[in-house]
Amino acid sequence: MIYQIRHISAIDYSAPVSFARFNLRLRPAEWPTQRVLSYTQDITPRPSTISEEQGPYVVNTSRLVIPGTTSALRIETRFDVEVLGPPVDPEQMPAPTIAEIRDAALAQCELSPASPCSYLFASTIAQPADEIAEWARPMLAMDRSVVAGGMALMKAIRDGLRYESGATDTYTPPLEAFRARHGVCQDFAHIMIIAARAQGIPAAYVSGYLRTLPPPGKKRLVGADAMHAWVNLWCGAQLGWVGFDPTNNLIARTDHIFVAMGRDYADVAPLDGVFRGGGKQKLDVSVDVAPVEELLGPV
Amino acid sequence: MNRMVDYLRGCPSADLCRDAPALVAQKWNAMAAGLLALAQDGEGTMHEHVARQIQDLGLTFRVTGDEEERPWPLNPMPLIIGAGEWSQVEAGLIQRARLLEALAGDVYGPQQMIKDGRLPAAIVAGSRYFSSKMVGLTPPGGRYLHFCAFDLARGPGGRWRVLSDRLRLATGVGYALENRLALARSTGPLLGTLNTRRLAGFFAALRDGIARECARERPRIALLTPGRFNQSYPEQAHLARYLGLALVEGRDLTVADERLYVRTIAGPRRIDALWRWIDTNALDPLRFDARSAIGVPDLFTTWAHGGLAMANWPGVEVFESRALAAFMPRLFETILGEAPLLPNVATWWCGQRSEAAHVLSRLDELLVGSAFGQEGVLQGGLQGGAMQPGRDLTPDTRRALIEAINRRPMDYCAQEEVHLSTSPVLIDDRLAPRPFTLRAFLARDGNGEWRVMPGGFARLSSSGELLTSLMGEGDLSADVCIVDDVPAAETDITTNIGSAPAVRRGGGILASQAADNLYWFGRYVERAEATLRVLRSILGSSIEADAAADRDAQLRRFLAELLEHWEAIDDETAKGSLAQMCSAALDEHELPGGVGTLVRNSQRVGLSLRDRLARDFWRITRRAPPHLAGDSTEAVRDAVKDLLERFGTLSGLIAENMVRDDAFRFLEMGRRIERAMLTCRIVQHLQACPVGAEALNLLLDLCDSQIIYRSRYLSGAVRDPVYDLVLLDPDNPRSLMFQLKELHRHIGELPTLLDDGMPEAPLRETLALLAPLRGVTVDQLDNAALAKVDDQLLSLSDIISTRYFLPIERGESRLASSLLG
Repeated sequence: MIYQIRHISAIDYSAPVSFARFNLRLRPAEWPTQRVLSYTQDITPRPSTISEEQGPYVVNTSRLVIPGTTSALRIETRFDVEVLGPPVDPEQMPAPTIAEIRDAALAQCELSPASPCSYLFASTIAQPADEIAEWARPMLAMDRSVVAGGMALMKAIRDGLRYESGATDTYTPPLEAFRARHGVCQDFAHIMIIAARAQGIPAAYVSGYLRTLPPPGKKRLVGADAMHAWVNLWCGAQLGWVGFDPTNNLIARTDHIFVAMGRDYADVAPLDGVFRGGGKQKLDVSVDVAPVEELLGPV
Repeated sequence: MNRMVDYLRGCPSADLCRDAPALVAQKWNAMAAGLLALAQDGEGTMHEHVARQIQDLGLTFRVTGDEEERPWPLNPMPLIIGAGEWSQVEAGLIQRARLLEALAGDVYGPQQMIKDGRLPAAIVAGSRYFSSKMVGLTPPGGRYLHFCAFDLARGPGGRWRVLSDRLRLATGVGYALENRLALARSTGPLLGTLNTRRLAGFFAALRDGIARECARERPRIALLTPGRFNQSYPEQAHLARYLGLALVEGRDLTVADERLYVRTIAGPRRIDALWRWIDTNALDPLRFDARSAIGVPDLFTTWAHGGLAMANWPGVEVFESRALAAFMPRLFETILGEAPLLPNVATWWCGQRSEAAHVLSRLDELLVGSAFGQEGVLQGGLQGGAMQPGRDLTPDTRRALIEAINRRPMDYCAQEEVHLSTSPVLIDDRLAPRPFTLRAFLARDGNGEWRVMPGGFARLSSSGELLTSLMGEGDLSADVCIVDDVPAAETDITTNIGSAPAVRRGGGILASQAADNLYWFGRYVERAEATLRVLRSILGSSIEADAAADRDAQLRRFLAELLEHWEAIDDETAKGSLAQMCSAALDEHELPGGVGTLVRNSQRVGLSLRDRLARDFWRITRRAPPHLAGDSTEAVRDAVKDLLERFGTLSGLIAENMVRDDAFRFLEMGRRIERAMLTCRIVQHLQACPVGAEALNLLLDLCDSQIIYRSRYLSGAVRDPVYDLVLLDPDNPRSLMFQLKELHRHIGELPTLLDDGMPEAPLRETLALLAPLRGVTVDQLDNAALAKVDDQLLSLSDIISTRYFLPIERGESRLASSLLG
């Protein structure tokens, strides 16, 4: 499936901003389930310097310096991507048990960006929380298949927590969202990560996009009007990283477009940075993810 | 002497003193005898001697959760270690530092140890201090470590072992130095007669070692502190002062063109090296934790491109993980090809299946805890900070721990229990054995070679427990004396390698933030003093004795209004009795003009000036306000007198002891501008009063000009002479004119940003204030003119802030963009 993605973020500041330096993490990193065919980004005002970096997790970062003073920032990215989906269907393949996954991760002899080792431990936002761990434990018995466990967990999150746009913000701790039983994709992903890691499953935070309009006869996915987040669980050498979307209770296949993977949101935040001034910020986001076939019309 | 015999009879078999070889045992005896003799000679006990030194040195610490700093618990009896025993420890520590250096080069480089399976990837990834962004970067001089510390235990048979590696923070090194200073001061020549090795050379070497990495020949080195609320801030401030480093916070610093600068009153000044006391993760919000408010945006680029030397190199904290000790013995062999000279405490990491089984089978004999020393509570219910004996666990905790280890074995490790040697401490006038641990410090010298501090920081606890924090409740600390059999040659003592430093003058750079604090320190102190003088006048110490009672009362009412204007009391209190009002003003901690508030504010800004102010100065500043013994006029008057004397002493110290550098100028500017404003306000206020001799007398009182007036004029107080004296006389140090003149002089001497010879805004504004006043006579000065001067002073203060201090909007804003999906 080939998609064309257009993502516009417009930020208005109530007071002028100076000395602005931003990290932009919107250029999709290389990932086995998809191929990026083209990528462009336009930033207004034009940065005085842009430097491109990779890593240290599966993420591309553009580091921008905005010269002078501005009171608005507009970032537009466009790219075409061919989503191949997982090479084997995780639901059809026998998967290792959770205990086997943990032991395999501990036996790793490498620390590359996608090494399962790097996703086993607490991270800045995904801090261990007994409440979440104990809630999820019955679903994640050590002798259960990791895929079955992951699916049970993501369903439990979707069923147990209310999706509520605006209920939380970027800085809401996952435990707080869990206690209130509501949140957005970011909270759901963090809760799932905390629960999985508590049992020793390598769990990563994925940022990306969902196709905007469903194929005929299917329901529109939640979270398609902005960037989306879901979870990758490491399911052993054979299956590798498998995407679980707790917001939609879905295994990521060809409707999910991968941008970056890190230990939690902090590693892959689409935009962060520092500046002086600024006052209040107003953010407008528009995301459009269209299958190329659709654009071309019926053949 | 008898006490030492008693001690040795009663102490445990593994005791530092009991184990001492003959020559060292003599030194123990001499030390004990010396301490007891000193206690008998002098007034008070030895503890009181030491306590006084501690207080003089301003030594304090905080236990986590403390609001106030506590006095430092130094025991007078040091640990005495013979040169022979110490040289073995030294060799072991240097070898360990070499290994850690090599390990840092591997983990942040080719990661061969991980690829070869000699170091599990998970033990690196598991530490929150592992910084994957640092992989592939090498320090310009090739050295990752400049400073490290090790906690050591001495076990039975005099076997020393490493309990923990400390690469993150040098906590304790300043206290080791302070302990030595306090002990040396309170025992006179005693330490010297024991041939105690001196510490100074170590610190000189540490500084040289950092300087060596810098590109410039005369580098500027700064100590980067998390700020004055940090637990070890007093230590950092003292070290910066002792080593002559600039003490900076993140917000003092700015990055431009891959170089680091400190914002000073003379514009940005380059920093060549940082001794950081901040975790890697907080160093740069653009590269690491975006939420860090104590770091410097883009700091990463400075070291990554060779523009900044770092001690230690970011990321090396990862080797502090407790569990790593399990792999160290083999890494000695693999990396160095040497057997460890100084073993670490036997450790098992549960992240390996057989080790986990071993730990579970010996839980009762071992200490268990977090593999990576996380703070907080682990899933098994253990506190993250300290290791706990397995046998002490309650059945419930034990069950929970075993389950947790079965789930996430990688989070846990176990250590064999260490039996600590004891060492004598002086309790009352008796020696008693206490188990101890010793923190040893290593630094690279100017040749890049490791040097071990000949001494250290000893902690003695009554419980015998190994606590990981610096000092716990009820712990004692002691100096550590390394003693030679024969006196060290003089050349050994002056260990300063190379030549003596070039002669220099001046106070170095003045960071904008420090200038800000100095300025406000001056202003708070002056305002507090002026308020106290108003209180003194109300309480009637010097109002004319023969004044008619009703006139007198009227004047006092007038002063009460002044207090209310200055927001020292609220309007309700202003209606009460005068004594109550004064006591309220003294005790006021909420209103901005209350004496309590002003004293607290001066202490608050004074705290961050700790590295600049002389010790006496600092001691007076931080002394608690006098206790008010009731509401009686006498009690309040005494308290006011006490405080006024204290401020007088402070002024004396400033005048006599402060170097006339830019720091002095900012403190003075604060005082002068505040005094000028208050003088304007007092005069304006009193003009509204039916002017009589009493009001003018009062004015002379409040402006401390009574004596000059009387010596100059035979008549009583008359308007024009009085006004001229307090407003226009350029030679009266209390007059408005004098303050403006001084402001002009100080501002004129400050560095300018441009070299075009044009006066900068603060100087122009001061001239604009000063010039018209020089041309008027006192009869032309009315309230409107004074109000104008007051306004101009306010705007001058703003101009000074804008030009010299950091922007009001402190720090940087963060951008938060939410993922709404």
